[in-house]
Amino acid sequence: MSDATFATAADAIEPPTERSRLLSIAIHTALIAASIVMLYPLIWMLAGSVKDQNEIFGTASLVPSHFDFSSYIRGWEGTQVSFGKFFWNSLVIAVLSVIGNVMSCSLAAFAFARLKFWGRNFWFALMLGTLMLPYHVTLIPQYILFLELGWVKTFLPLVVPKFLAVDAFFIFLMVQFFRGIPRELDEAAMMDGCSAWRIYWKVMLPLSLPVLATAAIFSFLWTWDDFFGPLIYLSDINTYTVQLGLRSFVDSTGSSDWSGLFAMSSLSLVPVFLIFLFFQRLLIEGIATAGLKR
Amino acid sequence: MGNQRTAIAGEPVVRISTLAPRQKFPGALARNAPAYLFLLPWFIGFFGLTLGPALVSLFLSFTDYNLLQPPHLVGLDNYARIATGDDKFISSMKVTLFYVICSVPLKLVFALAVALLLNRGIKGLPVYRAIFYLPSLLGSSVAIAVLWRQLFDSDGVVNTILWQFGIEGPSWISNPNYSLYTLIVLAIWQFGSPMIIFLAGLRQIPIDMYEAASLDGASKTRIFFKITLPLLTPVIFFNAVVQTIDAFKAFTPAYVISSGTGGPIDSTLFYTLYLYQEGFGYFRMGYAAALAWILVIIIAVFTAFSFLSARYWVHYDE
Amino acid sequence: MTFTIDRRQFLIGTATTLALGAASLNRASAATSIRFLWWGSKERADRTHNAMTLYQSKNPDVSIEGESFGWDNYWTRLATQAAGGNAPDLIQMDYRYIFEYARRGALLDFTPYLDKSLKISDFGQANIDSGKVDGKLYGVNLGVNSSAVMVNTIAWKEAGVDAPTNGTTWDDFAETCAKLTKAKKRRSFYGTADASGLEPAFEGWLRQRGKALYTNDGNLAFDAKDTAGWFDYWSKLREMEACVPADMQALDQQTIETSMISQGKATISFAHSNQFVGYQAINKEKLGMISYPVPADDAKPGQYLKPSMLMSVSATSKNADAAVAFVNFLVEDPDGAKALGVERGVPASEKIRNELTPDLDDLGKEMADYIQMLTPKVGTLPPPPPNGAGENGFFLKKVAEEVAFGKLSTDEGGAKFAEQAAANLKRG
Repeated sequence: MSDATFATAADAIEPPTERSRLLSIAIHTALIAASIVMLYPLIWMLAGSVKDQNEIFGTASLVPSHFDFSSYIRGWEGTQVSFGKFFWNSLVIAVLSVIGNVMSCSLAAFAFARLKFWGRNFWFALMLGTLMLPYHVTLIPQYILFLELGWVKTFLPLVVPKFLAVDAFFIFLMVQFFRGIPRELDEAAMMDGCSAWRIYWKVMLPLSLPVLATAAIFSFLWTWDDFFGPLIYLSDINTYTVQLGLRSFVDSTGSSDWSGLFAMSSLSLVPVFLIFLFFQRLLIEGIATAGLKR
Repeated sequence: MGNQRTAIAGEPVVRISTLAPRQKFPGALARNAPAYLFLLPWFIGFFGLTLGPALVSLFLSFTDYNLLQPPHLVGLDNYARIATGDDKFISSMKVTLFYVICSVPLKLVFALAVALLLNRGIKGLPVYRAIFYLPSLLGSSVAIAVLWRQLFDSDGVVNTILWQFGIEGPSWISNPNYSLYTLIVLAIWQFGSPMIIFLAGLRQIPIDMYEAASLDGASKTRIFFKITLPLLTPVIFFNAVVQTIDAFKAFTPAYVISSGTGGPIDSTLFYTLYLYQEGFGYFRMGYAAALAWILVIIIAVFTAFSFLSARYWVHYDE
Repeated sequence: MTFTIDRRQFLIGTATTLALGAASLNRASAATSIRFLWWGSKERADRTHNAMTLYQSKNPDVSIEGESFGWDNYWTRLATQAAGGNAPDLIQMDYRYIFEYARRGALLDFTPYLDKSLKISDFGQANIDSGKVDGKLYGVNLGVNSSAVMVNTIAWKEAGVDAPTNGTTWDDFAETCAKLTKAKKRRSFYGTADASGLEPAFEGWLRQRGKALYTNDGNLAFDAKDTAGWFDYWSKLREMEACVPADMQALDQQTIETSMISQGKATISFAHSNQFVGYQAINKEKLGMISYPVPADDAKPGQYLKPSMLMSVSATSKNADAAVAFVNFLVEDPDGAKALGVERGVPASEKIRNELTPDLDDLGKEMADYIQMLTPKVGTLPPPPPNGAGENGFFLKKVAEEVAFGKLSTDEGGAKFAEQAAANLKRG
């Protein structure tokens, strides 16, 4: 990967010495040790997915005595509709949510961070206030609203709110980062007679890749992991998401098919893991470009 | 140098912006119009999807709404009960406060430490980052309940390790004295999101600051405390506020691991889990709404306090 | 690299969503369409879908949309939909919740349909009454059921101890279970699960002593001393190591898969007879089923027959007639009843029971035999639980845990439960 190119400040100022090499070894050792601790439960789960049912809880060993991949087939077809359909549904919802969140939240954040308007502090405080509302209380009124709109049983209640910037976390996050972008850049653009829109689109967004990538990652992951929303709004098994599918797999087997559950849980991590790998490149590469190195 | 870092936590920067095209369209409307256009999607969402339902729930908190029948106004009854006669309110609030106080600082310290390590130009960085993020990917999946039991029950992995040292551990997950700690460990284990935000924050620190410091011959420790840490305070502040709010609202970990019971002996009965039980388990949605608004007030007090404290420790480089 | 979203992609995305939305709306509006929501396993889902398909082939103008969930999520979903006025037409009901829903006007009263499209007179009065709330019929019995004790027969043979049988007294039960633990054939393995926090077990114990959980007018029918006695019994078992220790029992979340017998921690778990199939499905070793232990002499019947689950129709259903007709198909039509089998419990209709019996597999036979063995010994259905009773069920588990972990004495536990249970009823 291209990390060496983007080595950060701390390294740039330090010529390689014997001491730093030792330090590097120490850091790697620490990181690897930490990785093992972090990953143990996940490796156990992955191992469990190819183990024999009896072997899963019997031994602490991570290495299966033999590899049995039938759990993946069993899990994939364990529900009335195959998991492929669930993956597709989750993907559609998650991608739309990423687009919606990044667009609508960056618009709002730009206004809060850079534009001057009447009532800004007031609206900002209200926006933060929405962060504090527990989810379960607005659930019933929201459900009734979406029912009146005829959206229940579709993806709309899960996706449309994302285009309306209801997730204040992302606005708050972007505001914090937009403020970190040197003001002289957009002031210069102002001088050239750029409109607010052009400044947002041509100056702000390109310079904000790390935070946009962060928002995209979180949007994707959280939507992917969301269980409650789909539980309430989706009722046709053909529209189920992966999380609902997993739950329905557990329910339908009375949680007895552990290796099947572990197989599907492991599989459900693959898309989010790939998304993470992809977006973290943006996260890292974005910043070292021209804008901030003055 | 860094005087452009206007990343102020707290209230928006009050500073003359020259962005509004005042010369072309004089008048308040023209001055405010662009901002309100940018905010349009948010306004629709805020009024339609958040404020509306929130006000409905505020109204419901003064009623005996039971989900199935039309609500009747009961005045302040719900709030009076919370204030005077609800042991579960107190015990679940204690559980939640303990969870917030333990999990948030530990999670942040962990996330920051790892982010600092992973911000260096060492080999295999993306792999490490991905590895450290993996647990957070799992979210509150069904599998977590099984994994945690495998780790923390009487003959779980943790006790197997302790046994090597001659210690016989309890069944952590099902012992009311320890079960909450297993949820705190879960929260810390999933430190991925603050870590990512710290990483993005570290990336935003202008490189010339470090160059200047190294020319002055400052030590690494000094650079960390004099440059990195102060410049990172807006991000630390953000993470602290958001994680605190999230920890107050935490629901799924306890729900998944205790199957919604909050047991044993209510030791993992988070406030939101209690609220959920009242609303959906016992059909007392009016009471649950009142509980929720009490929570909003408590979180708001905490948040206001953090914003007030911000001016003393969050770095305003202006 | 820049992160841009071009307009075309966005439009395509939105169009996809709308199309998906429209598709599922269309399906719902075909013919007389009714929705059916139930909880349960894949086995149950398969059987129910078969019954639905059969019915639709006989009645082409009716389309039934079925959906199943696990226990916990089922109730959240049902509550939300009912609150929105969007409840499914056909609702699988539990005996614990039918009072909550019926008293709040969410369910359809079947009385006008009786002997017309709902011909369930061969259920017998007791089985019809088990679906009544305050004199009106809101639920149709889907299977006759009673509480039961699951026994791992292999583990008892292995230990060389005679397992408890029907009619074993509570004292002998304690002794034999202690013997099994002492045999130490397996690592951390005990005679029985700790049932002190299990409401049906407590109820059985009370009824054997001429008491009950609730009186006809909705008050407590037991006192602090009764509860303390119950806690005392289990504390003794814990001391004798006849039952599992507190921190082991706390792992039991009152589901089949977390039960002590399924977890391989004990040879005995307290459950319900219709769950026998479910228990056996995830236990490799052969299970047996016996009735609750009894007091030494002159015991009153503790157990009673109750519906394992009921079929209800939503009060807001627009196709109530079609829904009721389908309910009748499930319980009185041989085709429908055969499709369901005894998976939800033994059918209440005698005619159907006789028709099903020859085709039953071994597990089904054992279940039917158990109910038959029990029938002459059971008592009457207890009075309907008052509002707030549901909360008391969970509260018993909490107090029992406090006693088991030594945070309360048995007397304190008894007093606390009786006092708080009464307060919960008052609150409703």
